[in-house]
Amino acid sequence: MIGAGGSPFMYLEFGDIVIYFSPYTLSLFLLALVFTVLVIASRPERQLDIAFGADAYTTKDIGLPEMRFRRFMAIACGLASMGAMVTGDVFDFCLFTSLVGICNVGIVAAVRSRHVQNAAFQYGLVALAGTVPLFGGAAIVAATTGTLSLIELSSTALPAVPAVVKGFLVLGVMGEGMAPFYAAKAEMFRAPGAPYVIMCSLSSLLIFLRVIEVVLQV
Amino acid sequence: MIPYLLFATFFGLLLLGIHRKLIARIQRRPGPPIWQEILHTLKFSFKSTWIPATASEVLFVSVVLIAIGIWTAAFFVLVTGGSLLIIFAIYMLHKIVEHGFGLSSGSPYGKFGGVRSVISAASEIPLFVSVSAVAIFTGSLQISDIIAYQAETGPLLFTIPLAAIALYLVILSKVPASPFAIVESKEIVSGYKTEHFGVWRAGLETCNGLKSYVLLLTFITVFIGALPFLGILLTMLLLVVSLAFVCALCPMLSPFDSVTIQTIITGIMLIYVLYLGVFG
Amino acid sequence: MKKKTAFWLMVTVAVIAVLALILSETGTIPEWLYLAVLVAGFPLFVLFLGLWWMAREGDADIPFMGY
Repeated sequence: MIGAGGSPFMYLEFGDIVIYFSPYTLSLFLLALVFTVLVIASRPERQLDIAFGADAYTTKDIGLPEMRFRRFMAIACGLASMGAMVTGDVFDFCLFTSLVGICNVGIVAAVRSRHVQNAAFQYGLVALAGTVPLFGGAAIVAATTGTLSLIELSSTALPAVPAVVKGFLVLGVMGEGMAPFYAAKAEMFRAPGAPYVIMCSLSSLLIFLRVIEVVLQV
Repeated sequence: MIPYLLFATFFGLLLLGIHRKLIARIQRRPGPPIWQEILHTLKFSFKSTWIPATASEVLFVSVVLIAIGIWTAAFFVLVTGGSLLIIFAIYMLHKIVEHGFGLSSGSPYGKFGGVRSVISAASEIPLFVSVSAVAIFTGSLQISDIIAYQAETGPLLFTIPLAAIALYLVILSKVPASPFAIVESKEIVSGYKTEHFGVWRAGLETCNGLKSYVLLLTFITVFIGALPFLGILLTMLLLVVSLAFVCALCPMLSPFDSVTIQTIITGIMLIYVLYLGVFG
Repeated sequence: MKKKTAFWLMVTVAVIAVLALILSETGTIPEWLYLAVLVAGFPLFVLFLGLWWMAREGDADIPFMGY
């Protein structure tokens, strides 16, 4: 299906890699941009913990080194998801998606708590496993059609891509984009969240949304 | 567009008020007047406002702006006949906004609400299923094309009723007091909204009004087609009445049950779309 | 934020939005630009309106920090 997200109105060509902006990819790109700016601009929350059995509560402060690292990872994650939103190349999309997965692990893993790091480790395993179908899908696309460009793939002149590719791509993105579900794990509540954990769920949702368009065009 | 935007916001709030009144009457309570949600919004905007000491300030404020902004964008996309995918994207991104509301304040109640909104991501997949069913039939995801298709062949509501039910369930999971409204259930105070008070809450209510209008209008445009303006408003009212009956008669599910039921619905819908794709 | 600042920011946003409406009616700017202005402007307008007519201008209460 051509132009599932509206017809592209701007092309940026880097050699044979074409970045294109359609209303859909542009709005996703802008959202990633807005949240990246927010991550840069906002200070972390100071999470309130209520002490059990006592009339007291504590706030958690994030140390500067930890904050710096998480912020760096969140910004990298924002940049990677911006790239995944606008790229017009299946392989680049896979690359950016796996970068999103790595950054998500990084955001979570910087917290100095055994429970949080366990969750990060498990997520890392899932993300690692997710890259196999992801790049496998891209490889099959290249092998059957000889091109990786989404614009050329959406034209009907090329040989049809096997349906299993769509499944592979979606499966891979599901692996990379599992982060929000880890953020919902009880272990993760021990980590102060905003604004870095938001970046986890935002980037995962964005790559989910983008893979829909990719799958419709392949 | 400016008058229509303001109208949509206030009419959406009025619909939420009617929804609340109907639930009360079905449960044999007097209930608030139907313009209560509009009063609510005004009341919150008059209240004194500050940012909690534990909050991540910039995110705390800008998430309100983003909430209103994305639904304004969705409204314009719908009215100008843009891509249905964009509306789908904005619906899903509302989840991030809820998550942001909850996490930015540092309050545990808000955080639980935000996290529940993440785990109820299962409710989005029926939406995707109904979008893909529509795409299979109309061959396009442009709303203008979908309207044109229905003008020729009659409403999609009768062609693909299960997809319409999927979208209806998606709308149901977003209305207040619904069986799936685990994000703002009472055991976590007000869920993700807990710490946003004063002007911030007024902004959130504005977003809610606009959101209800947009979601109901999406349902009508995608499954019934072009209607005269009064017809649209009346159909919205009918939809709200049916939603109110469901909300009044069903108890709120626990988070686990809610996610399980939504996942089961999603599974059924996926099978339906595969069937449509292969035999349709 | 001072009441006056909020008021003037609100007025600015409203003026820009109305200007965009007029310019788009006359065909000077394309429709998408007008709609983009509204998408950015409407949330700002709502918040500044609220901050402007906020009940009191004096010092805030002691923030409620829990029990």
